[in-house]
Amino acid sequence: MRPRTMMFLAAGLAVSGLLLGGVPAIGQAPARAPRSGGVLTLAQREETPQGFAIHETSTVSTTWPAMPCFSNLVLFDPLKPQESTDTVIGELAEKWSWQDNYRNLVFFLRKGVKWHDGQPFTAKDVKFTFDMLREAPDAQGKLRINPRKDWYTNLQNVEAPDPHTVIFHLKRPQPSLLLMLASGYTPIYAAHVPPANYRTACVGTGPYKLKEWRKGEFIEYVKNPDYFVKGRPYLDAVKYVIIKERGTRIAALQAGQVDAAFPGDTSKTTAEQLKKAIPQMVITRAAENVNENVIMNTKKPPFDNVKARLAVAHAIDRRSLNQAVHQGGAAIGVSMPSRPWGVWGILDKDLPALAGYGKPAEEKAAARKLMAELGYTPDKPLKIEIVTRAIAIYVDMASFIINELKQVGIEASLKQIETAQWHAMATRGEYQIGANLTGIGIDDPDANYYENFACNSPRNYTFYCNEQIAAMLDKQSAEIDPRKRLALVLEIQKKLEAEGARPTLDWRVDNFANWPHVKNLVPHNNFYNYGRLQDVWVDK
Amino acid sequence: MKTYIAQRLGIAILTLFGMSVVIFVMLRLAPGDIVDVLFSAAGYVNPSEKQAILKELGMDKPYWRQYVEWITQIFHGDLGKSYRYDLPAWQIIRPLIPVTIELAILSTIVAVVLGVPTGIISAVRQDSALDYVMRVFSLAGLSMPSFWLGMVIILGLVSWLGWIPPLTYVKPTENFWLHSVQFLLPALAVGYRSSALIMRITRSAMLEVLREDYIRTAWAKGQNERAVVWRHALKNAVLPVVTVIGIEFAFLIGGLVVTETVFNLPGVARFLVEAILWRDYPIVQNLVMFIAIVVILSNLAVDLLYGVLDPRVRYAS
Repeated sequence: MRPRTMMFLAAGLAVSGLLLGGVPAIGQAPARAPRSGGVLTLAQREETPQGFAIHETSTVSTTWPAMPCFSNLVLFDPLKPQESTDTVIGELAEKWSWQDNYRNLVFFLRKGVKWHDGQPFTAKDVKFTFDMLREAPDAQGKLRINPRKDWYTNLQNVEAPDPHTVIFHLKRPQPSLLLMLASGYTPIYAAHVPPANYRTACVGTGPYKLKEWRKGEFIEYVKNPDYFVKGRPYLDAVKYVIIKERGTRIAALQAGQVDAAFPGDTSKTTAEQLKKAIPQMVITRAAENVNENVIMNTKKPPFDNVKARLAVAHAIDRRSLNQAVHQGGAAIGVSMPSRPWGVWGILDKDLPALAGYGKPAEEKAAARKLMAELGYTPDKPLKIEIVTRAIAIYVDMASFIINELKQVGIEASLKQIETAQWHAMATRGEYQIGANLTGIGIDDPDANYYENFACNSPRNYTFYCNEQIAAMLDKQSAEIDPRKRLALVLEIQKKLEAEGARPTLDWRVDNFANWPHVKNLVPHNNFYNYGRLQDVWVDK
Repeated sequence: MKTYIAQRLGIAILTLFGMSVVIFVMLRLAPGDIVDVLFSAAGYVNPSEKQAILKELGMDKPYWRQYVEWITQIFHGDLGKSYRYDLPAWQIIRPLIPVTIELAILSTIVAVVLGVPTGIISAVRQDSALDYVMRVFSLAGLSMPSFWLGMVIILGLVSWLGWIPPLTYVKPTENFWLHSVQFLLPALAVGYRSSALIMRITRSAMLEVLREDYIRTAWAKGQNERAVVWRHALKNAVLPVVTVIGIEFAFLIGGLVVTETVFNLPGVARFLVEAILWRDYPIVQNLVMFIAIVVILSNLAVDLLYGVLDPRVRYAS
């Protein structure tokens, strides 16, 4: 055969091979199929408060290690970082359907699902869970503490007409209910297990069964062989190693003793150091859905006066705070996170019109003007006490705020409050102004606003109550058209900023770190919701 | 001797009663309780729900009644139930004790092995270059916080070797080598600091004894250095050293919180701090009593050791 012919033949064969085998992107290895086996070891920053009782806590320290045990009716797709209605997938529910103009939500449940103790899962378990959560008068179970009761105030009742059908009857339309059900905060409890038992052990329908909880040391799960998704989970076991000291946690990750960091644990600086030490470390930026904010007691002077609140809002330069405290690693936004971290937040181009988001010098001048109207100047300052939790990330933020306020005629001293007293103090209103962090279970206005801004909500630490805003909250909650709802939510955000209700300073962004052999562990823009681990596998 | 021990134990029981009152009162004086902490984990406080939980935990009873119930339970061998874990307190505490005892013993051994010989050498070679080196070495140990040293060890290991000791407790029967490494490193960090103190006390005591007439007599009689130092001087200098060793050991039982945290060892001290932050009264009260018992017993052991080390010490009947 002639050389030229051979050359053409070889080229032809090569092209055919590529076409048949798929063409990997340049510089990219072909994706490998998941394989079963292996153990995933994860860092856990502290002992889980209240064990596996997700319904009795509001912290990622519980959802992260407890989610593998449970299933929800629906869940946010673990492989999609941005959560929305479009990424909700079924877990215990195979199908669902809104009826009667978003007043009834019907779920058709999977058949053949078993609890980890072998008992069958039925609609009775769903009804039990949600009657308990909404504190129905005839509820079979009762929670000792029920932090998300407000999520279900619109739930009229839950009906289980047959073992595999559940109907949620709402008092009024509420499209966000589906998202609340998809949250890591909404697992289904077993009707045959007293809720108190979840504080010490876990009986769920999730991909992993609890093997051992050695207090203060680790939580270990093994694969659930009866998991209702065939071929899942991939992992044989998952272990959460409790490491309280942050430096030791990072060292453990670097040394490979843990495969992935704890969500929210890796600051921008730490991520850069990790990447420098271990170039192959995978760092993924993802929102935590936790914001830093200023709480001001609207029932007590001086912050019962909107001018004083607005002065504070104007005084704090968000961008400088982001640089100083987060090295530029946080996201700027108001009471809902803006894109790409959330879908409801005000656009960046509209932020400068709001108090605190304009040019720093102009903002400071506006703050001084307001303080002057109240009779205070930098020479004759308003003296206040700013409280914050005695935790480093809170103190960092509070220290920055104090410096900003000093420039506009507000002299603040810092008082650090131990965690055991913080929420009691805030709930009783025994403070003037505070530097606070607030985490929200889903990226939805209902979850945020009803908890933090509704009149009489136990977590409305500012006691802010505005009937007009309350009416707007209900209106947006019942709005079925997403565009109209968005418009209402944008309007609410502007009004809240105009009232200095609870000025948001920034939204925290995680730099989630994991070793490259960990596959399919996709951080979401909300760190409360991606801990199920049913699709995660290890390539080693 | 038996009478002496009986007297000391009698005093110990009185001391423990006093301790129990102090810890009981101090815990209740600290603001906040377990229910506040539980609500903190939930992000809100509801006064009526709080009352219900206080009642469930028996915390609505008068303080004197809670105290009497606790003491009565102890006499029946029942340490009560952890508020946080809803499990018997003994079940929570029991696995912690061997970890802390082992770490304290190893740290003390490291401290003695490092501190006593260097103290002796430093005293015998007073004002020599070796003496200065050892004094600087001991001063460094006193100046360095053990948590910082621990963190430096961890970071050094991970940076240079890409490795750190296991972060979950490895039983000696599971893997003796890993278990040894897991304890040796924190023992070195803590022992170094304690050795500094022991070294200085040893040096100081030895210097005092080496100036005594009988030491001069021993030299004059032609005894070699080894005999003078080890047989004559050290025996007389050891009493204050033993006292310090005893105090250090007792301190370590409750004072290893930062070392246990940095090296992630599930010991008493780290758990005690957690329990205090959680206001888990049964755990705190019982752990503090345990530490008090260890302190009392180690002091008693030191006192009895005096009688062994110094024949002049007799305990009155």
